[in-house]
Amino acid sequence: MSWRRPKGPIIANNDGTFLINLTPDERATLSGFVDQLESLLKADISDERLKRLYPVAYHDDAEKDAEYQGYMRDELTQSRAAAIDTVRSMLTSEESVTTAQLVAFMTVLNNLRLVLGTLLDVGEDTDEDDFEEDHPLYGQYQLYGYLGWLLEWTIATVSGQ
Amino acid sequence: MFPVRFITPQGNQQVAEPDLDSQVDEVPEQDVPWIVLVWNDPINLMSYVSFVFQKLFGYSKEKADLLMLDVHEKGRAVVSTGPRERAELDVFHLHEHGLWATMQKDS
Repeated sequence: MSWRRPKGPIIANNDGTFLINLTPDERATLSGFVDQLESLLKADISDERLKRLYPVAYHDDAEKDAEYQGYMRDELTQSRAAAIDTVRSMLTSEESVTTAQLVAFMTVLNNLRLVLGTLLDVGEDTDEDDFEEDHPLYGQYQLYGYLGWLLEWTIATVSGQ
Repeated sequence: MFPVRFITPQGNQQVAEPDLDSQVDEVPEQDVPWIVLVWNDPINLMSYVSFVFQKLFGYSKEKADLLMLDVHEKGRAVVSTGPRERAELDVFHLHEHGLWATMQKDS
């Protein structure tokens, strides 16, 4: 009998590519959240839930910041849309993915965490006791934790740890 | 003739009062270095922040981890310096990856 190491959600292949080892349910659920993120970005990027995705660039100069946002904000939105497209195609395919695709995957997972973290008002001292089962945002907090777990796995796998 | 005079005018020659407004030693803006700061936030994972520093700036894992710990423990860290255009590009890429980055002139 051979012993098989339990496989994580992201698996490194021998040729430098990676496999997304998620169940069909996980893929469908994640795709749904990615769609929600895309809808938020398309609707109104001044939405309060997106504030961590569009921070100021010049913290001590409002005039320069307005100028910067004027020519960078659209580019940032386009970059986020491109990453979402990449992740959507990854989640609907069983094929191996490249490091660049996996970085897009990490970026989107992180964007989702930033939106959820803002919604949950996560601070340095936030922990699971703040979101017990009867809390109205219990589900969102569970998702926040799941995305963190998946992101940690992805970073460790890409980094070869 | 050597174009620059170091000798103080003598005799009755009037020495003009310096025009203070025009004498300020201003360094042209394009020559002032800018610094890019990353600020601590409770949402981004420490491992993710370190990964982004390695990816964007080519830092070793050791250097990226030290910078990440600076961000976490001191509240912020300078992650790059350079001309304004370079700093803007760095800020853009950090924002692209979800990090809380800003820039300012080096003091």
